[in-house]
Amino acid sequence: CGFAPVYGAGGAGGKLLGEVALPEPAGPIGYVFNRRFEERLGRAGPDASYALRLALATDEEALGGTSAGATTRYRLAGEVRFTLVDAVTERILVSDATQAFTGYSATGSTVATLAARRDAEQRLAVLLADQMVDLLLLTAPELPR
Amino acid sequence: AQGQVAFGSMQQDTSAPVEVTADQLSVSQSDGTATYSGDVVIVQGDMRLAAPQVLVVYSEQAGRIDRLEATGGVTLVSGEEAAEAERADYDIEGGTVTLSGDVLLTQGDNALTAQTMVVDLDTGTAQLSGRVRTVLQQQPTEQDEP
Amino acid sequence: QQDRAVDAAILVADTVLVENDSRLIASGNVEALSDGTRLQASRVVYDQEAGLLSIEGPIRITDESGRVTILASAAELDEGFRNGLLAGARIVLDDQLQLAAVEARRVDGRYNALSRVAVTSCQICAGRAPLWSIRASRVVHDQLEQQIYFDDAQLRVLDVPVFYLPRLRVPDPTLERARGFLFPTLRSSTLLGFGIKIPYFIPIGDHQDVTLTPYLSSKTRTLEFRYRRAFVNGDLLVNGAVSRDTRETDEARGYLFAEGAFTLPRGFTLDFDAKLVTDAAYLNDYGITGTDRLDSTVTLTRARRDSLFQSALVHYQSLREAEDNDTQPTIVGDIRYQRRYFPALIGGEIRVDGIAHGHYRYSSTDIDTGDSDDVVDGRDLARLNAAISWRDRWTLPLGLRAGVSTHLWLDHFEIRQDATSPERVSAATPGVAVDLRWPFARGGAGGSRTLVEPVVQLGWVGGTRPENPNDESTRVEFDEANLLSLSRFPAADRREHGATLAAGLRMMHRAPAGWTAALTIGQVWRDEADEAFTRSSGLQGETSDTLIAGRFASTNGLSISARGLLDDTARISKAEARAAWSNDRIELGASYVLLVTDTDEERDEAQSEWTLDAAYQVTPNWLGSTEWRYDLAGQRLDRVGLGLQYRTRCVEVGLSATRRYASSANVEPSTDFDLSVALLGFSTGGPAKEIRPSCS
Repeated sequence: CGFAPVYGAGGAGGKLLGEVALPEPAGPIGYVFNRRFEERLGRAGPDASYALRLALATDEEALGGTSAGATTRYRLAGEVRFTLVDAVTERILVSDATQAFTGYSATGSTVATLAARRDAEQRLAVLLADQMVDLLLLTAPELPR
Repeated sequence: AQGQVAFGSMQQDTSAPVEVTADQLSVSQSDGTATYSGDVVIVQGDMRLAAPQVLVVYSEQAGRIDRLEATGGVTLVSGEEAAEAERADYDIEGGTVTLSGDVLLTQGDNALTAQTMVVDLDTGTAQLSGRVRTVLQQQPTEQDEP
Repeated sequence: QQDRAVDAAILVADTVLVENDSRLIASGNVEALSDGTRLQASRVVYDQEAGLLSIEGPIRITDESGRVTILASAAELDEGFRNGLLAGARIVLDDQLQLAAVEARRVDGRYNALSRVAVTSCQICAGRAPLWSIRASRVVHDQLEQQIYFDDAQLRVLDVPVFYLPRLRVPDPTLERARGFLFPTLRSSTLLGFGIKIPYFIPIGDHQDVTLTPYLSSKTRTLEFRYRRAFVNGDLLVNGAVSRDTRETDEARGYLFAEGAFTLPRGFTLDFDAKLVTDAAYLNDYGITGTDRLDSTVTLTRARRDSLFQSALVHYQSLREAEDNDTQPTIVGDIRYQRRYFPALIGGEIRVDGIAHGHYRYSSTDIDTGDSDDVVDGRDLARLNAAISWRDRWTLPLGLRAGVSTHLWLDHFEIRQDATSPERVSAATPGVAVDLRWPFARGGAGGSRTLVEPVVQLGWVGGTRPENPNDESTRVEFDEANLLSLSRFPAADRREHGATLAAGLRMMHRAPAGWTAALTIGQVWRDEADEAFTRSSGLQGETSDTLIAGRFASTNGLSISARGLLDDTARISKAEARAAWSNDRIELGASYVLLVTDTDEERDEAQSEWTLDAAYQVTPNWLGSTEWRYDLAGQRLDRVGLGLQYRTRCVEVGLSATRRYASSANVEPSTDFDLSVALLGFSTGGPAKEIRPSCS
């Protein structure tokens, strides 16, 4: 039915393993994003074939207002706009963006909400990284070796 | 487009005698012309024209010059004004000198550049045209005095 | 010498006639440049003796910056165009504001004195009066100070006089950060009556400024203030207000918010955010913010490629009616550091983590008494957590991606003022996880691409749960990010134990037309249920709820994403959805939240809510916006907002109305109307250039 394993013989996933250099993280969310990306596609050596340009943006929204005016739910929405370039020629090979959101409840104590918020931030970074890896795997066949 | 410039603080008498000095002279009887070459200087009254080569065309009456054609980089001086151009045609009958090709006229502190300049020696004015560019030195006003 | 060169004026024209050595007549596309000021005219007669230029129009004079343009039909000016008289003059400032006068006198290249003047920034169309204009008998425009002074100023709307001021001073648009009044806004609120806000802006140098805004209404005398300061390596913003109003008769009320962000050497960043308020109801009465817990924080952070340092000190002041600031943790300290190593010898990645955390409750009652939660009132807690892990990932034959991670967690807790817990608890917990990912891809017709990736993880965490109380991990979320995770608790005071099997299927499709759709399904099985999980976390019992998450994004700006947890009877125990659609005419955001009744999460009735906020550019000038929040469970409208903005090249009128229905001791239902009118083109009202003028 036309499906072939991405990292298999006919697949193109191998091109990306250990070959994508990441920019320095701008903050904690960028750090977790890079960490997850390296977990999935390996850590690039000094002469990696590709380099990644990232723009990470997050935004928090209060939801679940109760009749007493308390906010019971928060949503963290995030977007990563990225371009994959040839590490040598800097030619743009892939340019795309993906969005994700995570939620956390604020009905617990102050420290419970603080911990839930930090965890929601980390999960958002993981979601964005996984979704970007999916997009890269989909376009891998068109990448030059 | 035309413009007029007063050339020479005084008019010029075109009937005054014309002196020509040069290194060589070659005369051609057949068409009644003579060609001076090599540091040619033509003086008429207060006007002085210098050029590497000047063609003199005589009129039918013996002894009278009809026109001069100076080429190869011309300098024309009259009183305070001096003008340079690639070529100058002095029409003695018409009383006009036509300079053409990168004309530069310096008048005291002012400098004007144009493509062509026609000097009317009777009225003492000169007409510049072809995107004339003028650099005017402004008289320093009182407060500018050091 | 040098200054002579400065005085040189350059004149270019099609023809030049010098009648004698002082009078010069230039005609035909005349351009003159002197000291950076540029003049264009059809004919210029220049009398060098008198240093006078008499100029025939159409004349255009532009200053060096190009932001001041003077147009005239005829003029008599000196050589530097600094002094003289212009007829039929029109001064255009920064391409926005126009001063038109029968006559203008130019003095010292600095002042333009105009008589019988009309000033406006609106598009002037033949036969139609500008939307607004200021007429004055005399106007002096000081080009150096960039100020405009009016005598007998008369504000006209569509040529109808509406306001008169004998004297008026206004900064011209080229002056950034001009000191003076900004445009007032009218505000009517059911809590504070009808009032007016008149901001006054005071710049202090070009790196600081203060804005004082008196807010006077039938029920309040308030002074709002904002202080901003830019540093070389950061900036500071302070907002606050002091009020005396009829709602709190005896003493003054107010709030102070200060926030700053600074970059420090060696990659550190320092942020602080202080929030103080005199009484819990103030922020809602004055519509400042809806936050119901004031958190003042100081954080020092450094994120590098292989290390992350985060430290924070937080002070909470809860404004919630049901919460008591004595029994809530109000002072929290947290320092954490992670470092990553990539040993060449054994390969893979080693991570080392260190966390020190403490939180303090003012109350020292060591049991739970009458407050709304069932947590020990005065418990203070500190914890030290260390972790070391090694992980690696390989590609096996047939494209299988296998990952292994081994963990050791060392936790130590100090608990005080809590009769129900021991004073000291320590634990060491090992853990190991093996995960397999098997992604398949297919290139379809027309360049469509599909990815299908089954994922599975077998995990084991040893040890049993230590006796420390659960203060921080009471709200657990389950989504695609922690589907394959050894512990889904948000903080280190709780960890999953025993064996777990997590499996999921990730699918993604990209169509040739450019839209992408993705779906993820997942579930977790565990050898024994963990009673620390609440019902709405979806992780209760030995089989978790089924996680379903999908998203759709198209190239024309529409994106929909949703996530839900289905329990074993296929009933939704949690659902969140978000839709956003934006193009150049419409900006739409809708979201939905459903959370089931869950006494463990202090939610004694289901929570479900729709919110919608949309802005629609009806015409290039009219922008409508609305905001809705509807509580489905409570069958009540929580908030409604309507906004209307009319903006042309020269005026911006904003009208907004918001109705909030929530009510409690600190929060009262209120309706607020705001009206603001700003004449654009002065440096107070914002630039007037964006809207393309058209006379149609």
